[in-house]
Amino acid sequence: MFLSRRRVLQQSSIGFGSLALASMLSSKAHSGEQTQRSHHPPRAKRVIFLFMKGGPSQVDSFDYKSKLQEDHGKPLPFEKPRVQFAPTGNLLGSPWKFKKYGESGIAVSELFPNVAQCVDDLCLINSMHGSNPAHGGACLKVHTGSDTFVRPSMGAWISYGLGTENENLPAFITICPTLAHGGTKNWGAAFLPANFSGTPLGLASQSSEQVRVKYIQNREMNFKQQRAQLDLTQSFNRNFLASVGDNAELESRIQSFELAFRMQTEMPEALDLASESESTHKLYGTDHPVTADFGRQCLMARRFAERGVRFIQVTHSNTDVQWDQHGNLRKGHEQNAAEVDQPIAALLSDLKSRGLLEDTLVLWGGEFGRTPTCQGAGNNGRDHNPEGFTMWLAGGGVRGGIQYGATDDYGYYAVEDKVHLHDLHATVLHLLGLDHLQLTYRHAGRDFRLTDVSGHVVTDIFA
Amino acid sequence: MNRTGAVTSVVLLVLCSLTAFVKADETPSKVQEQPTAEEIRFFENKIRPLLATHCYDCHGEETQEGGLRLDTLAGMLQGGNAGPAMVAGKPDRSLISNAISYRDNDLRMPPDERLTDQQIKDLNHWIESGSPHPESGQVGHVRPTSTIDLEAGRKHWAFQPIVAPDVPQMESSIEPGDDKSSASTSSTRQVAHPIDAFVLADLKSQGLNPLPRADKSTLIRRATFDLTGLPPTIQEINAFLEDDSADAFHKVVERLLNSPHYGERWGRHWLDVARYADSNGLDENAAHGNAWRYRDYVVQSFNRDKPYDEFLVEQLAGDLLVPDREPTTGHEQLIATGYLVIGPKVLAEVDESKMEMDIVDEQVDTVGRGVMGLTLGCARCHTHKFDPIEHADYYALAGIFKSTKTMETFKLVARWNEVAIPNAEELSRQQAHEQLVAEKKEEIAQRVELAKREVIEKRAAEISPTDVEEAEKPEPDPVEEKEFSETAAAELKKLRDELKKLEEAAPEISHAMAVAEGTVADTAIHIRGSHLTLGETVARGFPRVLVGDHQPSIPEDRSGRLEFARWLTSRENPLTSRVMVNRIWRWHFGKGIVATVDNFGITGESPTHPELLDWLAARFIDDQWSIKEMHRHIMFSETYQRASHPSQIEDVEDRAEAVNDWAMLVKKDPGNRSYGRFGVRRLEAEAVRDAILATSGELDRTIGGPVINTPNRTLVFNHTSQDATAYESQRRSLYIPIIRNHLYDMFQLFDYSDASVLSGDRDSSTTSPQALFLMNSPFMNEMAESMAVRILECELTTEQRIARLFEEAYGRFPTETESSEVIQFLRYFEEDDSQDPAEFEVSIVSTENSSAEEESSSDSRSEVSSRLRAWRALCQSILSSSEFLYLR
Repeated sequence: MFLSRRRVLQQSSIGFGSLALASMLSSKAHSGEQTQRSHHPPRAKRVIFLFMKGGPSQVDSFDYKSKLQEDHGKPLPFEKPRVQFAPTGNLLGSPWKFKKYGESGIAVSELFPNVAQCVDDLCLINSMHGSNPAHGGACLKVHTGSDTFVRPSMGAWISYGLGTENENLPAFITICPTLAHGGTKNWGAAFLPANFSGTPLGLASQSSEQVRVKYIQNREMNFKQQRAQLDLTQSFNRNFLASVGDNAELESRIQSFELAFRMQTEMPEALDLASESESTHKLYGTDHPVTADFGRQCLMARRFAERGVRFIQVTHSNTDVQWDQHGNLRKGHEQNAAEVDQPIAALLSDLKSRGLLEDTLVLWGGEFGRTPTCQGAGNNGRDHNPEGFTMWLAGGGVRGGIQYGATDDYGYYAVEDKVHLHDLHATVLHLLGLDHLQLTYRHAGRDFRLTDVSGHVVTDIFA
Repeated sequence: MNRTGAVTSVVLLVLCSLTAFVKADETPSKVQEQPTAEEIRFFENKIRPLLATHCYDCHGEETQEGGLRLDTLAGMLQGGNAGPAMVAGKPDRSLISNAISYRDNDLRMPPDERLTDQQIKDLNHWIESGSPHPESGQVGHVRPTSTIDLEAGRKHWAFQPIVAPDVPQMESSIEPGDDKSSASTSSTRQVAHPIDAFVLADLKSQGLNPLPRADKSTLIRRATFDLTGLPPTIQEINAFLEDDSADAFHKVVERLLNSPHYGERWGRHWLDVARYADSNGLDENAAHGNAWRYRDYVVQSFNRDKPYDEFLVEQLAGDLLVPDREPTTGHEQLIATGYLVIGPKVLAEVDESKMEMDIVDEQVDTVGRGVMGLTLGCARCHTHKFDPIEHADYYALAGIFKSTKTMETFKLVARWNEVAIPNAEELSRQQAHEQLVAEKKEEIAQRVELAKREVIEKRAAEISPTDVEEAEKPEPDPVEEKEFSETAAAELKKLRDELKKLEEAAPEISHAMAVAEGTVADTAIHIRGSHLTLGETVARGFPRVLVGDHQPSIPEDRSGRLEFARWLTSRENPLTSRVMVNRIWRWHFGKGIVATVDNFGITGESPTHPELLDWLAARFIDDQWSIKEMHRHIMFSETYQRASHPSQIEDVEDRAEAVNDWAMLVKKDPGNRSYGRFGVRRLEAEAVRDAILATSGELDRTIGGPVINTPNRTLVFNHTSQDATAYESQRRSLYIPIIRNHLYDMFQLFDYSDASVLSGDRDSSTTSPQALFLMNSPFMNEMAESMAVRILECELTTEQRIARLFEEAYGRFPTETESSEVIQFLRYFEEDDSQDPAEFEVSIVSTENSSAEEESSSDSRSEVSSRLRAWRALCQSILSSSEFLYLR
């Protein structure tokens, strides 16, 4: 039976299919065809992306600048970017103290005392840069690589490239994502087959206690009755299949119902945090009102990682104060950091102790950083800054305890070993065993890539 | 597989042939013929070392990143993938100058570190002086990578003129009298319908026999869903089954074409191509409060069978068709131009020029792929890599849209353009209001005058007689309001407050998203797509590969939209008709004659039946671009009416005969490329939902009108990610709000178009999340319950009820096996309910974390009898089954 690759991808019965699966099917059909599971041996099997919506400030967290402290209140001694989101004033020194941690002696601010303890596992990229200074464009850029066009998200590309390791769960799950500033585009499949889009669990406006996959449970009948109902439906489906003869799509539809039935038990089990020990809950801070919400999200991320979900995004977007302090930097950043610091450190140490950090790539960052110059009525805030900011990676084949690249003396522009968001995408794909130049999809007459026409793999950060 | 390889090599071949046909007369760069010794010295001392140190590693003899080498003069002038690196004499139009300036975030060279100011100055100076180079005068004709050979390009099949081909002489595969609904009048085998003749000729050439016509109940279901997106009613099915006249099927098709639901179905197809949505999407998801007017315009246009050429001209240039309109007229033409406005825009883009060009690009891409089947957007940054569309062609078209006013303002947060479309009543209310405002303003002006006079009189009284002479010299100080008396100030404040209130109470006037003529100007080529590096200015015009030597002229004071629309819909245009008939074919058959319906370029698929496509395209124009006439051509063909499987063939002998033919078809043509049988396919998301609503008896058939509850231009959800859009409506799916970035989840599950980018070829997937929706959603439960309640209210036996449900859902009666299986299921379900009442309660309690939506659904078993629960489960099963969701 002939199944075109595209057709298989579209019709994949499990809904969370993969190029890998499609390759297996098609290689069965056409022996000799090369499978595309990965392009080279992977260093990581999955990604957890801790997304700090709003744009956390690099010079107040992981990019210490002594000169900024010295020149507080003075004008920036060089030009500001051609395109700025809004005007800013003079230099604003960080209100937080920095301390050196670990064997690496990397300086981390007092905003992140717990994450600081893990600094020897972190690979800080201090020279990140993007190109869009507005939330919407920048969110789209970091998630999809384009702030101009509708393109598949990073998670969708990875699901497309690698599929899932657990066919009863989606390959790409995003926990409490935000709807604003790109919304579903940030986890969408765009022109890739729809089944590669992320499965959202809840939204930023909901408590992580309420998250669940939509329609995962039937509230109208018991399990036995639903099984009987499904048997009836499937009997109808088989009759129909017989009435039209050989039809791959209808066969795969029958399979999709069976998988859905199994998912009904698998997904609630994965989300059942009650089965975790008290000490684990304490570690993640789910017992404390400040850290409970994000702590639960991180704990879910670990449970999904254990179960073979390929790409897990966890969004921190406190609906009152996102990481977006145009004013009142101190209050806003302190609150945000307090909510995420302990859960993130917990996730890192928990993954490590379970042996999962080796093949799980943890990625932390926002859509951009913030300006070293001040803003706001009290001159105590910072503007958006895509010109230079910090993201960090941990686990999954990257070197821990290093700082890669650098910004200028004040932390405004990335100047040394610059890493563009396209480069980050290329690097993440590479760590997963995918070549960003080869991971393509033909659409509207040409082959598309996550990195479009850019992207360099930053091999220097590999372990 | 093999095929991909073949496509690649074809593409490569085409590329090679394009390169081979270098256009000899194009040498835009003015290269100095004889540089002076001093100029050469400057190059050798300053420029070559600089290039060698900073550039040759990646753009030299060994490596040519981006296809560019800078170690030869020819290399620089020819350029790489992004076009020429340098225009001699023009540093501001040279890519290399832009790259070293670090102005453009996306192109900074050398990548590691900016050159020194002196180095940049030197390089720019060198380009400005004509790039004197030791190789000057020796490079001959250099063809910049941005030019292509148009003559070679015109050979592509889609750019050839449409000529109606001769119809092959074939006889119908169906004996007259075989089928009472056929239009046969002759006593011998009839000559095939032209569509069938082309299809049969192809089938015969492969030694294949097509299946005969499907039985009548299959046909009416197919045709009814196809033309209206709704299932046929039992009455409609019976009427057709009982109609023995020769033209029974024709009557059905005519009835459906005249149904107001026809426009709802086919208008929606066009809305996929028009990337219709009720919100902006992208970054600032503002509500398109007036987009529905465009949607209704599209529906009405289909219902009235508006000729496609007129339909297109209105959408591209409706405003220009009614230049002297009164305020209350010409609305339809204005609303039509909403087509250009409803695209997604980055409204908070800080860089206004980038936003403007992004919006223009979105329009060029939409018109390019939607109407012309060309991926014109590919030529934004560089000459198209595959199709004969030059970089300049893109900006010739872009100039037309840039000269069009799509936006009211680009200032943060940007606003799209809307125009007032008052009806007579609104207009008179508005005029009355304006009168009141004018009167109030006049009253204020008079009061101010009075107060001023009071001040002047007061001043005069205060001046002592001795001051009088001196006071003659300077002009008296102008009176300021702060000098007014308290009474005057108070009265003025009152009047102004009244004015403010009055102005705020302006009567609402209907508005439409629409364009107008903007600042008319030609646009410069944006090198590498960046507005920061502009190249030559290009006259507004149409792609040269299509217009040949006769570029229609665009008046200096007009954008050129109307001229563009007229050119698109001219008889000579080889694309417009082909693209549209192929779309219509796609929507009837589930796949296009050209499979890549939005791409007729070199990387698109070739037509499976090129002559048929051309016959249809020529016919379409001859029929005055009538879409309904095209439906008739297609639906009256045997090709459309074929069975998909022998089991749908009425005549027992025919059925037996067809079994072998079918087996051959499946074996030799598994993809049904040759249309030997009708392809089974799933209903689209809207039809799935509408069919469920219709079958459950809950469908609200109200037509047209606004649908979103968010006021125009306000965000459908803010940073709190709470979306207030309501989807509870039981109206047809066409009237479900289309919120970009947060599509109604049922639509998303069933492969709805993205609504941000046009798509004429929706996917049809089968995924577990779809199954979960069908099994567990409150919507399915409610619909199943309505259906169950209705059937239980009928005075019927159990067997009769089951038969009725099958008839309503599938348009046929159940087999005995099916009937007994259903009875068994009902019995089991009810018994289980009575045996184990506790279990259900437990399963409810364990679902603590449920969303609000799912909690609101009807639940508690105590309220619903076991009998109803069992029938509800059965109805849900029927509504979830393949037979309900798929067309044969």
